[in-house]
Amino acid sequence: MAPKLLSSSNFKSLFDSVDTFLFDCDGVIWKGDTLIDGVSQTLDLLRSKGKNIVFVTNNSMKSRRQFAEKFRSLGLTSVTQDEIFCTSFAAAMYLKANNFPKDKKVYAIGGAGILEELQLAGFTGLGGPEDGEKKAQWKSNCLFQHDKTVGAVVVGLDPNINYYKLQYGTLCVRENPGCLFIATNRDAVGHMTDLQEWPGAGCMVAAMCGSTEREPIVVGKPATFMMDFLIQKFGTETSRMCMVGDRLDTDVLFGQNAGCKTLLVLSGCTSESNLLDESNKIEPDYYTSMVSDITKLMDSP
Amino acid sequence: MLNRTLVSSSSVSLLPNSKPFFSVKNLSGFRSSSFSGGFIRRINHKPLCVMTPNLTPRAMAAQQLENADQLIDSVETFIFDCDGVIWKGDKLIEGVPETLDMLRAKGKRLVFVTNNSTKSRKQYGKKFETLGLNVNEEEIFASSFAAAAYLQSINFPKDKKVYVIGEEGILKELDLAGFQYLGGPDDGKKQIELKPGFLMEHENDVGAVVVGFDRYFNYYKIQYGTLCIRENPGCLFIATNRDAVTHLTDAQEWAGGGSMVGALVGSCQREPLVVGKPSTFMMDYLSDKFGIEKSQICMVGDRLDTDILFGQNGGCKTLLVLSGVTSISMLESPENKIQPDFYTSKISDFLSLKAANV
Repeated sequence: MAPKLLSSSNFKSLFDSVDTFLFDCDGVIWKGDTLIDGVSQTLDLLRSKGKNIVFVTNNSMKSRRQFAEKFRSLGLTSVTQDEIFCTSFAAAMYLKANNFPKDKKVYAIGGAGILEELQLAGFTGLGGPEDGEKKAQWKSNCLFQHDKTVGAVVVGLDPNINYYKLQYGTLCVRENPGCLFIATNRDAVGHMTDLQEWPGAGCMVAAMCGSTEREPIVVGKPATFMMDFLIQKFGTETSRMCMVGDRLDTDVLFGQNAGCKTLLVLSGCTSESNLLDESNKIEPDYYTSMVSDITKLMDSP
Repeated sequence: MLNRTLVSSSSVSLLPNSKPFFSVKNLSGFRSSSFSGGFIRRINHKPLCVMTPNLTPRAMAAQQLENADQLIDSVETFIFDCDGVIWKGDKLIEGVPETLDMLRAKGKRLVFVTNNSTKSRKQYGKKFETLGLNVNEEEIFASSFAAAAYLQSINFPKDKKVYVIGEEGILKELDLAGFQYLGGPDDGKKQIELKPGFLMEHENDVGAVVVGFDRYFNYYKIQYGTLCIRENPGCLFIATNRDAVTHLTDAQEWAGGGSMVGALVGSCQREPLVVGKPSTFMMDYLSDKFGIEKSQICMVGDRLDTDILFGQNGGCKTLLVLSGVTSISMLESPENKIQPDFYTSKISDFLSLKAANV
């Protein structure tokens, strides 16, 4: 069915059928480090009407705690850490849920957020940002060493990607028996700055697929791993949830895969023409220009 | 085995209103064809990037080489891979010089085809010389050379530039072929700061991005290459090769060109034109250049999914040597679908097997 433009004629039925709103962050709540207009009032309004709010982001650069700080710095002081589901947290939870042994280590190709979440979950992390300074040596008698007790390699967005990290991760995955290859997400690009798109985690993950010849376990959208936590947290049916996002192949697909209602906002990387183009096969239930439209429609008669 | 599909028209995203500004040659044949559309039409011809095992897998299992003379007499040209066949890292494999001399004495043409793009042909010539091997620069075909040769074959305009994500070998070959380039190892020093208001600029006259093995790989290069491919109309995305791992040193494997190419595929969501093995570009080039029939060629290599597949795709005889990355158990594994005609432990078996038959 074709996506419906959110309007006063259909808003109430959506609103009444949903208990929990799941918001993506980049392109929905903020763009880079700038808050999108009207978001604060909309979140407050939803809370005042008794709706649950959570944030589900594929970004793995920060931990939940660091994301909560970002929300606070943008004036969204009501957001707490346990309402935030980012993929750094998801990767650590995946390992926990699968009884990853505490005597094994995790090699991280990505931001500090991954290492922090691993530590919080009781795991030993290696790599991360400091490996951005390391260089490999290739002399006849020089062996590139890697820790044989690494049992998982977690790969996320890494603007400090280099050959050393790719080689380290590759050796772990190829040579440590049973080593897991986990991807936080596979977004090809993202708006890391407000002015243009930049390569996303999908790029680092594909680099590792190229050298390991293996496909990763993906914990971020559109995989529904994070949904399991949300269901447990709220104890509600996914049909009473609405995923609000700006990206069709992650946010909307995630919502659809999990059986939620889906609302696409055009304040991020997807335009109306992208959505309505013949080649697009992913159709959200509804679409609107930005999150603050919810406030406008709530106020209208 | 590799989990990639043949390039199909549905997996290629075409830039809106993009048209190549020159005629693009089909990579599996040297015949020219002009296309006024984008890449989708070209893909209706033979696949450009053959990564899955050959569509007609050989039903017969590889035979252990016993009658070396028969094989030698049945072909006019031997194409040798280098890493794992001639040398391992910087060490010559035992018996190689005598074997090559014997083949030359029998009047055989010898050619060396390597996916390594870090050196130019000239630099490889020096490596052969240092190892005491009598090999001419004209007999060496590295994938750095292949990238430049490909651009020449499609008449890539000299007023367009090439952005290189790779090492010196590619830059040297582009230079020799008269192409302007940007990037290379120097861009490995460039840093970016992702902050509000920062915009990365890129040159609009880059008409091709060549990606190969790159030890100086970084986010700057990935973004630069991505911007060119995505935003410069008709910009080509060329890969020297997609080897997952490579033997940079003889002691261990190292992440290969397949990693850097994978990164660009991940951000651009486009498949590249591959000039190195197993793509047959270099085979077609050689057969054209030397006027040889492919049935008169034997490809000798240590890697099933590049060397042997290259030989099979090209219609040559194939000989796998076990002196490199492939072991007998890998060859005989039920998961392996690529069966060379013959296999033997190393190329000097040509001499010892010969001696045994006397």
